[in-house]
Amino acid sequence: MAAGQAMWSMNKIKVLFFATLRDRTGMKSVELEVPAGMTVQALKDKLSSDYPNLKESMKTILVSVNKEYSFDEAAIPQNAEVALFPPVSGG
Amino acid sequence: MMLKMQTIKFPTIFFITEEEINLNDLLAKITLPTTGAAAIFTGMVRGVTSRDDPHETAYLEYEAYVPMAEAKMRQVAEEIRSKWSSVEGIAIVQRVGKLYPQTPTVLIACTAAHRDTGVFEAARYGIDRLKEIVPIWKKEVGPDGEFWVEGEYIPKAGE
Repeated sequence: MAAGQAMWSMNKIKVLFFATLRDRTGMKSVELEVPAGMTVQALKDKLSSDYPNLKESMKTILVSVNKEYSFDEAAIPQNAEVALFPPVSGG
Repeated sequence: MMLKMQTIKFPTIFFITEEEINLNDLLAKITLPTTGAAAIFTGMVRGVTSRDDPHETAYLEYEAYVPMAEAKMRQVAEEIRSKWSSVEGIAIVQRVGKLYPQTPTVLIACTAAHRDTGVFEAARYGIDRLKEIVPIWKKEVGPDGEFWVEGEYIPKAGE
């Protein structure tokens, strides 16, 4: 694939992990290059295979994209800040 | 028109902090010349729990996704205003970090002209919504080890 083509077809995103998800990955955040138009579900699948420890959490995980709650079918926009975390427990 | 002008000057305060929650300061900031009532909810670290699963807590360690948490606190305040137009000032504050029993961790305060205007319900709604949609988590540490407390609410699209 030519370099110019790669620029069009990839999306550089930042993924943040909180609470149990951070413990399971051992990371606060990671920068990833993912295919443009990747859905939240596809990102969850990719992360489950990159970090097998995450698999167990994936059923009840919440996802935000650019600080708004997002859902499996949504496409991840360019340069998005994605966060993965368990249901919240503030108060 | 007049109502709109009033809405603009109603104070709305929301933030995540590592510092002690200063109730007097916050209350002063949401008290207007027209204010005659404030409903204040504050939650604290409970050292001894007897309900459900009795246990002791040495401390709680809170963390937040700060920029999203503050945006969602603003949203909770907007929801309060849309449900109770009588509410004048709103303060929503969550303290994070390592917090020991008997320490206040969260504060929701709403002010209004009178107490029978829904101001109690407004504060109650505020803490309930914070526990549903504001991205904050706590790890409980006690004699049996440590574990993350997970909520149950799954936000819907648009929340």
